[in-house]
Amino acid sequence: MDVANRTNTAAGGEPKILAFCCNWCTYTGADLAGLNRMKYPANVRVVRVPCSGRVNPQFILRAFARGADGVVVCGCHPGDCHYATGNFFTRRRFMLMRGLLEFNGIDPRRFHARWISGSEAAKFRDFVSEVCAIVKGLGHE
Amino acid sequence: MNNFSQQQQKIRSAASRLLADGTVRFVIGWAPTRFAERTTVLFAHTEAEAQALVWNAHCTAALGKYLLDHRLADYAVGIVARGCESRMINRLLTDHQIWRERVYILGAPCPGMDAERCAGCRERAPVVWDELLWDADGMPETGGRQDAAPTNLDEATIADVGAGLALPAVGAACSRPLDTDTSLRSRFFRAEAVEGLSAAEKFSYWDEVYAKCIRCYACRQACPVCSCRACYVDMDRQGFQGKQHSAADNRVFGVTRAFHVADRCVECGECERVCPMGLPILGQTQKLIKEIEALTGEAYVQGMDAEEENFLGAFDLDDKDDFL
Amino acid sequence: MMYLLKENFDKAREALAGAYAVVVPDEVLPPKDALFPRSETLYETDRRTGEARAAGAGGKTLLFGVRPCDARAIGNLDAAFLESGYVDANYAQRRENATIVALACAQIPSPACFCDSMGGSPHEAPEADVVLTEAADGSGYALDFQSEKGSAVAEIWKAADLIGPMPAHLEKAPAPTCTLKVNKVPDLAQKLTAAFEDGLWERLAEACLGCGCCTYVCPTCYCFDIGLENRGGTADTFRCWDSCMFPGYTQMAGGHNPRWSKTQRLRNRYLHKLAYFDERYGRTLCVGCGRCICRCPQGLDITRAVEWGERL
Repeated sequence: MDVANRTNTAAGGEPKILAFCCNWCTYTGADLAGLNRMKYPANVRVVRVPCSGRVNPQFILRAFARGADGVVVCGCHPGDCHYATGNFFTRRRFMLMRGLLEFNGIDPRRFHARWISGSEAAKFRDFVSEVCAIVKGLGHE
Repeated sequence: MNNFSQQQQKIRSAASRLLADGTVRFVIGWAPTRFAERTTVLFAHTEAEAQALVWNAHCTAALGKYLLDHRLADYAVGIVARGCESRMINRLLTDHQIWRERVYILGAPCPGMDAERCAGCRERAPVVWDELLWDADGMPETGGRQDAAPTNLDEATIADVGAGLALPAVGAACSRPLDTDTSLRSRFFRAEAVEGLSAAEKFSYWDEVYAKCIRCYACRQACPVCSCRACYVDMDRQGFQGKQHSAADNRVFGVTRAFHVADRCVECGECERVCPMGLPILGQTQKLIKEIEALTGEAYVQGMDAEEENFLGAFDLDDKDDFL
Repeated sequence: MMYLLKENFDKAREALAGAYAVVVPDEVLPPKDALFPRSETLYETDRRTGEARAAGAGGKTLLFGVRPCDARAIGNLDAAFLESGYVDANYAQRRENATIVALACAQIPSPACFCDSMGGSPHEAPEADVVLTEAADGSGYALDFQSEKGSAVAEIWKAADLIGPMPAHLEKAPAPTCTLKVNKVPDLAQKLTAAFEDGLWERLAEACLGCGCCTYVCPTCYCFDIGLENRGGTADTFRCWDSCMFPGYTQMAGGHNPRWSKTQRLRNRYLHKLAYFDERYGRTLCVGCGRCICRCPQGLDITRAVEWGERL
């Protein structure tokens, strides 16, 4: 895609990964990871959203179009949503989204979603490290 | 054997009657243009104009979206509705865009029209109507035009419409080159054509498609699902979508549009018919419907009644989340 | 009169590829895309230093096989971009660098063509640098080199030994006539402007979907929008086609939209094509190429507004 002015794996740079994290669970979990001085790759840029249900599929498309190498959506575990049902909608939406990305020739391994609660700092670290490794392996398109 | 001329007479007399008794303010149907193989859309306001309505294999435009122009109207609107229009109407009703009592639907079971979008048609007969103009008995239920239906050129003159703009007939065709194969296609024929490709091939396939897109938004304008009063693409200063016509931005628009309409698409195929660049954009929507069917394990067909639940507007506690 | 054999037609195009970037117009889009692109970067700004750099508008191009109506349309674009009192730098640069080789219509390309009703001709392209006109026997093309840029093309073709003097027994084929005849009254502009409040505009616009197709396939539509694209370290100021058929076109900052209805927008488009431009530049903007008629998904027809003039 048409992307200017950035570092990426093809240019020997680091991949950029955009993480949409829900305010109530994953963002707190990421915060906790920081408080506990856990190390995770600096490739991840976190965008705080009120709920994973706020993440419009368009955000993901635009992130890819503007040069993200990977996109991650994280929210509360099903049943734990601060807004009761927000993440149930997220779940359906991104199950569909993955198929559409694949259909458009974007490797579905560049797009991940995970349920991470506010206390799961280690899970957040492991998850983003894993995604980072996968995306690095894929290189830049 | 086609009954276009008899059916046309039924449309004309029903429209005249509705206009004469004041049931509707106008009836939306088709009228001839100067070109034998093209029709335009006519809002017949008078009984005389109702006599200019035509019904032939070139009535390819679906009329449902026009109801949206009159969604705040305090009058009733008459519309000729085939399978595709009736599903569009159900769509608009489900989305609370129009009032049922302000639409008078003249049900017109379709013999199949001369458009590529009709070749994948699964529902030629209207699914909602106030008055069924003729029986669908004996007509094939699916697919596009099956026989060579001639257009009577003598009729290709709009007599006395509006301020009396009669158009002399020119005769020759002025239409987009279409795939002449109108035999019934697989429901997801566009999606299936792409699915077999490798990831890189898919990417360049869509890149080629969207490089040609001129962002005229005809697909959006024709779509009965696109009922938002303000579309996100029109809010270009808010940064949702670049206004520049680059393949990357066109692609974001195309895929986003497909996703916005995914679970509510009535599969009328108008988006593809109206595209001036002839882009196979139906593939995106077909793929999404296919995915929905794969996820739920059930048939997913929209627009069949006005009380449907949309896939993305609902959830199930037991939904799959195998990649989450 | 110089002459090019039909069998050398492709070679003639290929011979130009060395000196120019040769553009063969798309079958749908008008050649204006080469002079006034769908989207172009005007300048790039470094966000740290605030330094702006003009992006420039490319090198020598040659439009090969332009229809006479489209060549005439380029003349109209010149009026708007170069002769209106303000010179558009990017357009001027592209125009200066562009050589136009027109191909006179041997047959009428589309039943919706009506150039000869709008004052043009399927055979005449005074705005073009070179005009290829088919010979009466169909064996080749008579060549008219109409400018210095045209002579440069002639030199290339001569050097490649592709052209020679036209045999004495040959002559240009007579110009075909458009099948679509539209009666354009001489005072159409005044009549339509006077009918501004007429109810017929609403009837003409009823079937309009409100897409921008007609404006984008029009060889004479030249409206654009300017936007800014943030790319992290740099910001690109770009210009892209815009369409008066979109509600956002006249949207003002406070939310007010003076052309809020479809009817108003269609009326504006038709009046611009048939009246406003005429009043300002003394020539009708619509050149009668018929693209908007052919491509309109709903079969709207601008000639209905032209013929309305007869009744006003």
